[in-house]
Amino acid sequence: MYQPSPLFRFAEDRLQILALSFMAIVYLLKILWILKFPAGRDRQAPASNANTNASHGALYSLFIIALPWAMPSTRRHPFLYVQFAIFHLGVAASIAMSFLIPYGPGLISSRATVATLQAIFIVAFIVGFMRLVRRVADPYVRSISTPDDYFSLALLLVWFAFSLLAAPNRPERGEWFLLGYFLLTAFFLIYVPFSKISHYLYYPFSRWYLGKTLGHRGVYPIKRGGELRA
Amino acid sequence: MIRQKSYRAQKVIERLRQKVNRQVLLSLEACVHCGLCTDECHYVLSNPGDVTYAPAYKAGMLRKLFKAHINWTGRLAPWWVAAKSVYSDEELEEFKDVVFGKCTNCRRCSLNCPMGVDMASFNRMARGLLVHVGIMPDGVATVAKDQWEIGNQMGISQEDYLETLGWMEEELREEYDNPTIEVPIDKMDADVVYAINPREAKYDPRTIAEAAAIFHFAGENWTMASQGWDMTNFGLFNGDDELGGAVAKRVYDAVQELRGKKMVVSECGHGYRSTRCEGPNWSRTDVNFPIESSIITMLRYIREGRIKVDKTKNSLPMTYHDSCNMARSCGVTEEPRELLNLVCTDFREMHPNRADNYCCTGGGGAMSMSEYSSRRLKSAKIKADQLRATGAKVVVTSCHNCVDALFDLIKYYKLDMQVKLLVNLVSNALVIPEQLRGREEPKRARLLEGYKILVIDDEPDVRVYLSMIFRDQGAQVIDAPDANQAMRAIKNVRPDLITLDLVLPRKTGEKLYWELRKDERYASLPVVVVSGYASIDEPKIDFHRFIAEKNIAEPEGFLEKPVDREKLLETVLAVLASKVQTRIRDSQ
Repeated sequence: MYQPSPLFRFAEDRLQILALSFMAIVYLLKILWILKFPAGRDRQAPASNANTNASHGALYSLFIIALPWAMPSTRRHPFLYVQFAIFHLGVAASIAMSFLIPYGPGLISSRATVATLQAIFIVAFIVGFMRLVRRVADPYVRSISTPDDYFSLALLLVWFAFSLLAAPNRPERGEWFLLGYFLLTAFFLIYVPFSKISHYLYYPFSRWYLGKTLGHRGVYPIKRGGELRA
Repeated sequence: MIRQKSYRAQKVIERLRQKVNRQVLLSLEACVHCGLCTDECHYVLSNPGDVTYAPAYKAGMLRKLFKAHINWTGRLAPWWVAAKSVYSDEELEEFKDVVFGKCTNCRRCSLNCPMGVDMASFNRMARGLLVHVGIMPDGVATVAKDQWEIGNQMGISQEDYLETLGWMEEELREEYDNPTIEVPIDKMDADVVYAINPREAKYDPRTIAEAAAIFHFAGENWTMASQGWDMTNFGLFNGDDELGGAVAKRVYDAVQELRGKKMVVSECGHGYRSTRCEGPNWSRTDVNFPIESSIITMLRYIREGRIKVDKTKNSLPMTYHDSCNMARSCGVTEEPRELLNLVCTDFREMHPNRADNYCCTGGGGAMSMSEYSSRRLKSAKIKADQLRATGAKVVVTSCHNCVDALFDLIKYYKLDMQVKLLVNLVSNALVIPEQLRGREEPKRARLLEGYKILVIDDEPDVRVYLSMIFRDQGAQVIDAPDANQAMRAIKNVRPDLITLDLVLPRKTGEKLYWELRKDERYASLPVVVVSGYASIDEPKIDFHRFIAEKNIAEPEGFLEKPVDREKLLETVLAVLASKVQTRIRDSQ
């Protein structure tokens, strides 16, 4: 009869809770720090455009990420948009798995679910690798990249690889990949608040503020302006 | 070893800490360095391969500073997130070169960032940090100083401003044979207080007259203010919120002192944005009257039937260039199109358009930074391609900055196009009902009555300015933007006098002058050279050398730009009088 090792038990449960608590505390402090900076106020009268307002603009801005046709930058690079979607799907699946393995293993026990998860991790890994290649090979992206960008991406690639191996959740066949997956997950939880990966924390705020102002001024939602026909 | 910071570098960092607000902080933190903004910048598209033009790279300069001094990780492990402080004045000069010389704050990258990072706001903020320590292009410093000290960005004295309004009033009365048309000044309790761009008073007063005619025929109770009439605002360009607030407040105060009910701002992208959108924030004023663009005012007059227009009067194919400030920062994209469709017969969209349109390349105060002109014109290639693809003969815009920048790029890329404002088209399309025409006034004697004058100049502002002065004195004026059109006009019209600019596209003014002098049919045509060329590197001497080398007669007059109205008339009248005397002498 298989008995999980104490390290494995610690890694999949208590370590995750500790790491998650650490992340929550850092994020809480960070939010308090952000709130210390005064927010600019929109004193100007609203736009005469009756079809929009600040709230409408803020909502549009928040969900613009789901409207790849709304911005020329995503419209003209559909492949990059697909990469973005797959990559983040992989991240979401891996995060979900870190909760499901210890607390709801039955939900991911079917072969179909495991196969789906593994397919997601494989594609996310390939996409992540392509993103790494782009970051190195594209002179524009390379010029704005920092060690944190490369490290975060490389770390995610390793995480996807461990997620792929951990998805069947069969520690009795060997704990090391599950252990690796949970240790990496814990490391992420501690590292993320200090890295660019915490962009997901800023995204709703930055988009909301921009959208609120541009909605108030009648710019958002954007009217499409076609493509260059030179 | 701790590196010593220069006094200015230290001040920039102190200012950074004061200026970062929540929106800027979140934008600075949110960038994931994805590079999706890269292709959205006209500088990048026109300078492929040069990474220093990429929006994220440019914004990265401020971000590095922010990370070095404010961001948590950057302060703990700067190299890990590429945090970098500034130490010397030389580094600040490099910073200046990027934030002033490689970005027009057009905001196209901001609206294309999936993360909502407002890079144009960073750039403006970075400019403000540098301006705070006195580092900025000379042109920016001069204009900002004029706006602080004289009250308008072109340093126009109140006397000249009022004289120009008076002159326009006279013009209008003559043009419409209507002595009741007014350009009212400081009228109390008007429904509309009209604020303008000083470029109109200085170089294109025709637009003031056109707006005045529209207000008059719409039956508007309107006025202009004798003070606080400049709605442009260099605070938007140089990132100085204090200047922005002071200038905006001056305009708001003028309306309040006159107890105006509404402010209408003439066509100016940054002026509209500064006055309507940013000014209340900079000046921390809750403005208690509506502020409207003249585009919306003109459209309303037509919709309400207060003015009638005949679109067939504007029959050339036209396209519309969206001013960045109007489209991307104030949401004015549909009204100009509706108006255009009402006043012209052939409107063609350029692509992309509206908030996706590309900058004219003159935004962000670029027209006042002559040191970056070559970069600006190179980066205008994308705009030139857009314009060319429309096949239009006229590009219409609603911004005086765009007018100048578009005109420059049209000349540089040899496009066969004119640039017009919406007010030009609406005024041209006006249908004046018979009952609104004034009684015939006995016409006063005018100095150039009966003369035909050909104005040759590639700058539309100058052509308009010279033509207006001559027409005002009763002359029949023909104008030409280049030597070929000028030659056709000379053959067809046979003018009594020519004013000639030496710097013309394709064939120069010198060459044209030589062709005229060697052709016996035109050799005796009086020519007054009016050129700005002379002030650059003594080309007057070169022109004289050219004349001497070619062994041809000197021109009858030579004036340097900018031309004073009185001096111009004096010279032209002297030349024409001498021509008349020569004819009399020859006939005897």
